[in-house]
Amino acid sequence: MYPFTYHRPASLDDARARLAASEDGRPLAGGMSLIPTMRFRLSSCSDLVDLNAIDGLAGIERHEGGIRIGAMTRHAAVEASAEVREAIPALAALAGSIGDVQVRNRGTIGGSICFADPAADYPAGILGLGASVNTDRRSIAADDFFTGLYETALEDGELVVSVDFPVPERAGWAKFGNQASRFAVVAVMVSLAGGAVRLAVTGAKSHVFRVPEMEAALAADFSAEALEGIAVASEGLNEDLHADAAYRAHLVGVMAKRAVRAALAP
Amino acid sequence: MSERGHIPESRQREKPRADLKWIGKSMKRVEDPRLLVGKGVYTDDVNLPEMAHAAVLRSPHAHARIVSIDVSKAAALPGVLCVMTGADAAAVCDPLPTWASPPVLQPAIAHERVRHVGEAVAAVAAEDRYIAEDACELIEVEYAPLPPVVDPEEALASTGDAVLHPDRGDTNIALERKLTFGPVEEDFAAADLVIERRFRWPRSGGQPLETVGAVASYDEGSGRFTIQCNTSMYNYCGWMIADTLRVAPHKLNIVPTLAGGSFGSKMFVHKVPIIAAALARAAGQPVKFMEDRIDNTTSCDNHASDRVYYAKLALKRDGTLLSLKTRIIDDYGAYFQFGVGQHGNALSQCVGPYRINSVEVDLAAVLTNKCQQGAYRGFGSEVANFVIERLVDAAADELGMDRIALRRQNFIQPDQFPYLIPTGNMYDSGNYQAVLDETLKLADVEHWRAKQAEARAEGRHIGIGIATCQERSVFSATEFWMWNLEPGVEWTSSPDGVSVKIDPTGKAFVTLHSPFWGNSPETVAAQVLAEQLTIDPADIEITYSDTDQGLNSTGPGGSRFTVMVTGAIVGAAGKIREKLLRIAAHLMEADVRDLALEDGAVHVKGVPDMKMSIAELADKAHYYRLSMPDDLDLTSGLDATYVYDHPVTTLPDADERHMGIFYPIMGHSCHIPVVEVDIETGQVHFLHYAAVHDCGTMVNPMTLEGHIRGGTVNGIGTALFEEFRYDEAGQLTTALWTDYLIPTIKESPADIVVGHVETPSPFTEYGVKGGGEGGRMGGPPAIAAAIEDALKPLGVTIDSLPLLPSRLRALIREAQAKQA
Repeated sequence: MYPFTYHRPASLDDARARLAASEDGRPLAGGMSLIPTMRFRLSSCSDLVDLNAIDGLAGIERHEGGIRIGAMTRHAAVEASAEVREAIPALAALAGSIGDVQVRNRGTIGGSICFADPAADYPAGILGLGASVNTDRRSIAADDFFTGLYETALEDGELVVSVDFPVPERAGWAKFGNQASRFAVVAVMVSLAGGAVRLAVTGAKSHVFRVPEMEAALAADFSAEALEGIAVASEGLNEDLHADAAYRAHLVGVMAKRAVRAALAP
Repeated sequence: MSERGHIPESRQREKPRADLKWIGKSMKRVEDPRLLVGKGVYTDDVNLPEMAHAAVLRSPHAHARIVSIDVSKAAALPGVLCVMTGADAAAVCDPLPTWASPPVLQPAIAHERVRHVGEAVAAVAAEDRYIAEDACELIEVEYAPLPPVVDPEEALASTGDAVLHPDRGDTNIALERKLTFGPVEEDFAAADLVIERRFRWPRSGGQPLETVGAVASYDEGSGRFTIQCNTSMYNYCGWMIADTLRVAPHKLNIVPTLAGGSFGSKMFVHKVPIIAAALARAAGQPVKFMEDRIDNTTSCDNHASDRVYYAKLALKRDGTLLSLKTRIIDDYGAYFQFGVGQHGNALSQCVGPYRINSVEVDLAAVLTNKCQQGAYRGFGSEVANFVIERLVDAAADELGMDRIALRRQNFIQPDQFPYLIPTGNMYDSGNYQAVLDETLKLADVEHWRAKQAEARAEGRHIGIGIATCQERSVFSATEFWMWNLEPGVEWTSSPDGVSVKIDPTGKAFVTLHSPFWGNSPETVAAQVLAEQLTIDPADIEITYSDTDQGLNSTGPGGSRFTVMVTGAIVGAAGKIREKLLRIAAHLMEADVRDLALEDGAVHVKGVPDMKMSIAELADKAHYYRLSMPDDLDLTSGLDATYVYDHPVTTLPDADERHMGIFYPIMGHSCHIPVVEVDIETGQVHFLHYAAVHDCGTMVNPMTLEGHIRGGTVNGIGTALFEEFRYDEAGQLTTALWTDYLIPTIKESPADIVVGHVETPSPFTEYGVKGGGEGGRMGGPPAIAAAIEDALKPLGVTIDSLPLLPSRLRALIREAQAKQA
């Protein structure tokens, strides 16, 4: 690590002010990705503004339109939430598949989507369920939020406050995880709501993406068999030690079918 | 003397018995309370006044000349005490110790040339580790890259700039030898069938949570070093470290600290203590150097066997195994610490539990731009197990025979022990049929065969594998040098000692001369001494000696500890018992022959009231000299030391017809895993796992089971996940645990059902055998067999590891394409 100044503001306004006043400040949520990269000296900042002491950023609410999850809500809370399990069990399954117990007890939904790791799980949840991301300035639709490798639509100093998930008729989560980190090699969230299908893939490209051919086939026939023969091209897919592009492309097909089966499971 | 050598008489004093009180009991570990509450003192817990901290700058190149190093900016950084380059180190240190002869010269810090990514290029001592790390970043090194050598088979042909050590000639072959034991050509000529396979065993290594570390100090007044370090073998050959530091051996004291895991690594740690000591002498302050994870994975002694085998098994059509021929290319990395000791090791059990008449081994040890090899659970024998088991499976398939039946047919029979195998090593005892039968029972193979059939009908792929493997224990020194091309280290001793004292109040103290290496040395010592002196283990305190106090002791590597320390305690306790009886005889006016030590007291046989407790006798022994027999040899106090020599070893034959007896305390195991392969993803799940081990008389079944289960998970790692992968440029792409995949509870079977058979050794005290490595020796071939069985409908053959999902999926895809 390189030296930095640590802040622990008690309000969102104070956090914003401190970030604005810093030369190269970064907000800290659960720290499950940021801290390791800082420890490896892969990243550094002048100021670290810890959001953990700010009231009102964590929590899960069921309301008429769906479920609202506060940005500082831990993965373990989402995994265990009776509201989430009842309304969107696939989202609870996603949260329960992240990392290990320690990571889930510490990591947050806001931190995960802002860091926008290409292999993080939540981006698929956001995009596959058609959620919207509420910041201290505006609401951003899922389709507009993730813009590239570790990149989002957030502006400088903009802080995520909560995420709104609509409740689908059906949704399913399937993940092929890296054995060590449990990050997704390929994971798929699929949902069916009002006849519209969303199918989002994480782990396979620079950032989460939808697969329109699969969505169209599923809109006509929401079954695993409907995906038979629909291949995702391996061009442009991630390649690393754990999976080359061809294997990843294959896994997208396999995980998409498994996600659909999970969505159809009683 | 036969072609295979001779078998010496047993020197066993304590026979295995049914009425033992402490040996054989699953006593809780003596070590655990302090370790579990965080009160164990590991190297990093050692802090000395004025202690500086070291960091090491490491080579980013696999192979390069060091054109220049400029350390001026680093040296000028406030808080930096000392910066040491390879040239600086070479001015004050000799090359590192080695068992290879002729040696491959290895510096503690690279000088003029770097030979692998992660090799030390400079070391810094500073007021704290942060400053030391910052200083490393300020060191400017100019490299002139040389061709990297990463493929072991290509290394066979290296010349010119691709040669790592030009001083040894224009080649990267460190050693090449063919050894023939028995009538190999005749046996192959007589064969009906020869199974031929190429196997690839991947480079993996022990992954202790605690890295290697040392805290070194140098006393200018006495010219003496003290090094606290998590190493083993320090009481055997710690003086070699003094040689490298260019001080007389008595000017170095090595003090062992607890090892936070080893799995064979930290066998004889050399780079880290020497860097710490050289810095301490230069800086004039104590220095701590604790490797970080990348230091450890790229540059320590954790890397293990990295072999290509071209193997041939000759057999008769009726299933009789005849002969084994192997051409082996082993990628040793850039240096050669233990020579080809790992192949000496493999010769101890290369024919497995089978009657195989002859063996040929044609070995090329090559040098490449990778981290050096060291010791890792199995030390090369686990690879030989994989090879023979895969060959036997292939032979059974080829003959259309059942894999289990073919094994049974070729087993060495219980009445054939002690048995000399063609290489000359002895198997002391065994009952392979009994182990197999017990495993078949625990594995419930019939049940799983039925499940397999049901699953296949549903398009699922369940497989059952079996391996029947040797698990040698208690090496003797010859395994390290038997292959050497020139005379070098030619030791024949590999003892272990203990010191035992009973204080005036009757409490017992044991000093071990081997370290805590992550196993249960204190528990074993307490149980055996309690048995010997009929006392309570709670009345025994155990400590570890440094080299100043140390007795000749080889250390726990090679599954030696339990056998050797049991022998040493039997020897020391025997001396104490004799003294107790003599004193008691004098005080009770009885004949020594009428006395017996029972329940912590010396009794006159047949006279219940006539007894004296050990505490009473110890009091007399310490404080009442005038009540003792007037014998010059009967000194005050109650103490004894004993150095227990290797129980049975013989010299290699001068004509190399055999290698003598060098690894004879032969355990055996049978592993039967049941797996399901997800053919869409290539992922493997365990449905069941049974493992039965025969480690002779068990001292502590609970700790042995821990070894078996832990070792089996180690074996799962080797079979399915773990690999130090170097890319074409020689970069280690799996230097971190995010990429070097270690099985966790999620990848392990829900339970590993463990069973035991006890066939005592006729050579060791109480018949004990070592059992520290067996899980990893049996797991990989059994798991490979299970996966092959699962994929039988597709015709997939398994001959290389690890079977990562991506690789297994590729094999499945190829097989599917072939079928389609």
